[in-house]
Amino acid sequence: MSIILGVINEGLIYALMALGVYITYSILDFPDLSVDSTFPLGAAVAATMILAGVPPFLTLFIAFAAGALAGTATGLIHVKLKVRDLLSGIIVMTALYSINLSITDNKANLPIFSQETIFENAFIDGLAKPLSEYSTVIILLLIVLVVKILLDLYMKTRSGYLLRAVGDNETLVTSLAKDKGSVKILGLALANGLAALSGAVYCQQKGFFEISIGTGTIVMGLASVIIGTKVFSRFGKIKATTAVILGTIVYKACISAAMAMGLKTLYMKLITSLFFLIILVVSENRKKKVR
Amino acid sequence: MKKRTFAALLLGALTAASLIGCSGSNSSQSAESAATAAGEETDNSAEQTAGGSYTIGISQFAVHGSLDNCREGFLEGLAEEGIEEGKNLTVLYENANGDGAVSSQIASGFISQKADLICAIATPAAQSAYSAARKENIPVIYTAVTDPVSAELANEDKTPVGEITGTSDRLPVTEQLAMIREILPDAKKIGIMYSTSEVNSLSTLEEYKEAAAEYGFEIVESGVSTAADVPLAADQLVEKVDCINNLTDNTVVSALQVVLDAAGKKGIPVFGSEIEQVKNGCLASVGLDYVELGKQTGRMAAKVLKGEAKASEMSFEIIEGGSFYGNSKVAENLGITLPEDLVSDAAEMFDEISE
Repeated sequence: MSIILGVINEGLIYALMALGVYITYSILDFPDLSVDSTFPLGAAVAATMILAGVPPFLTLFIAFAAGALAGTATGLIHVKLKVRDLLSGIIVMTALYSINLSITDNKANLPIFSQETIFENAFIDGLAKPLSEYSTVIILLLIVLVVKILLDLYMKTRSGYLLRAVGDNETLVTSLAKDKGSVKILGLALANGLAALSGAVYCQQKGFFEISIGTGTIVMGLASVIIGTKVFSRFGKIKATTAVILGTIVYKACISAAMAMGLKTLYMKLITSLFFLIILVVSENRKKKVR
Repeated sequence: MKKRTFAALLLGALTAASLIGCSGSNSSQSAESAATAAGEETDNSAEQTAGGSYTIGISQFAVHGSLDNCREGFLEGLAEEGIEEGKNLTVLYENANGDGAVSSQIASGFISQKADLICAIATPAAQSAYSAARKENIPVIYTAVTDPVSAELANEDKTPVGEITGTSDRLPVTEQLAMIREILPDAKKIGIMYSTSEVNSLSTLEEYKEAAAEYGFEIVESGVSTAADVPLAADQLVEKVDCINNLTDNTVVSALQVVLDAAGKKGIPVFGSEIEQVKNGCLASVGLDYVELGKQTGRMAAKVLKGEAKASEMSFEIIEGGSFYGNSKVAENLGITLPEDLVSDAAEMFDEISE
């Protein structure tokens, strides 16, 4: 039971980030590498704020805002300075490394074990037995659901439609007399805000911030998005956001299963990229849609 | 058609994964069967316990000479107490290769594999292990955590914050400074290179800065963020200082040759922080014996496994005092004579530089 619960917990935490990657990769067709650093950015902001006495719940919003700011930077570099998409992500990712360290006052590792977090506070401690055991997963589920519903609602607004249009058909957006650049910037801000939110939740659940947690976030996000949208979209009508969340949980379950079978963590990255490549090849019809 | 190719490919991927998985777990499986075999034979020594056999997970944060020595020592320490790999002990060993997210996954993996105890090597590994294990009440024994208090794994009075305890590898900073003063009576500035992403380096650097004045030194620090920054940083640093002193910084130590080259061109010595570095070309060091540190940790783990004490009841331990290691070949190259009293008390002297 604890294994399944662990997988769901991990999956839900990263699902927030994967929803962001879904916006950039699937909707905007923008491979945004900045999430590798906006994920730890969110964690750094949350850990530092919590230590400064900011209510843990509030840190989630601040982390989101910080991530959105970083995403805006990626967008501006790409749109205004005309740097290629992949490169603008790399630029922001690299710059954020220093910024993350300066946020935590040059500490690569910031424990918050003894602090109150959204998962550990007086209210949670006061809960009765069956509820307290599942408190973590319930809180995560609530956060993910709220984010998902908000995102679904947003996609139905005028701005949301434009966002989707930019990925599908840029000319259409221009012909509607809308600036496709600002729509892209908005999408990147949203995506990186979600990645930072994910990082903030991660560090509160794990009890510490560590500079190295961001490595490979984008690969994990892409794999989850692709599993979600390619596999679950085959099972009848299902919202893309739901599919992405499920995809992340499935991805985490695969990793957990591989480890239970005795997979050496040494090979983890290799397996992840192979897995990723296979799904990409299988889903090559993606290209037809985009081109 | 699409669906079929998809299924076929997925199957292929899973087979590949499980194949690699199997080859990886072979050793632990054989160890497991050996463990059951040992459990049946009760003619084992007095240490034979009621439980018969144990499963422990070792989570190491990075590949690193000192950390590897810790792990070896840990297993030796357990063996001294009668808990031997292949007899009554199954060891699950994973290395996060310096990735914090992987480190968390390793910890939860050990818990799902029902480890009786997790041994965490280095600070991030210890924190992930504690984070995952504290809800399950699985004891965590750490080693090579330089500052357990600031890592929030122990209280100010050294008592654990939960079912977690272990050993700290706080460097013998004052002894090292005294040693440098003895070898280089006229030196004024010591250069220290560290990576900004390693919390252990930062806290040791602070200790050096505090203690330096007492020995008439000034510390010149140089922070790097990746191993790729080391060459430039080393070239700049050697211009400003009379000698370089290493910490146990993973990034800098892995680029040790670069630092040695830069210092060698300038003819200034590099001091190490442990035996491996002296072997590889540092002039000298008052260093920790990481194998010994691991052994001490192993003995603590044995107590917990046998149920003699709970992890939450044991304060963390610091290995006391360092011993002198010197390299006479390096001294000869630099034209420096190592003081006789240091050499005669040396734990080990090397007369060649191993590559």
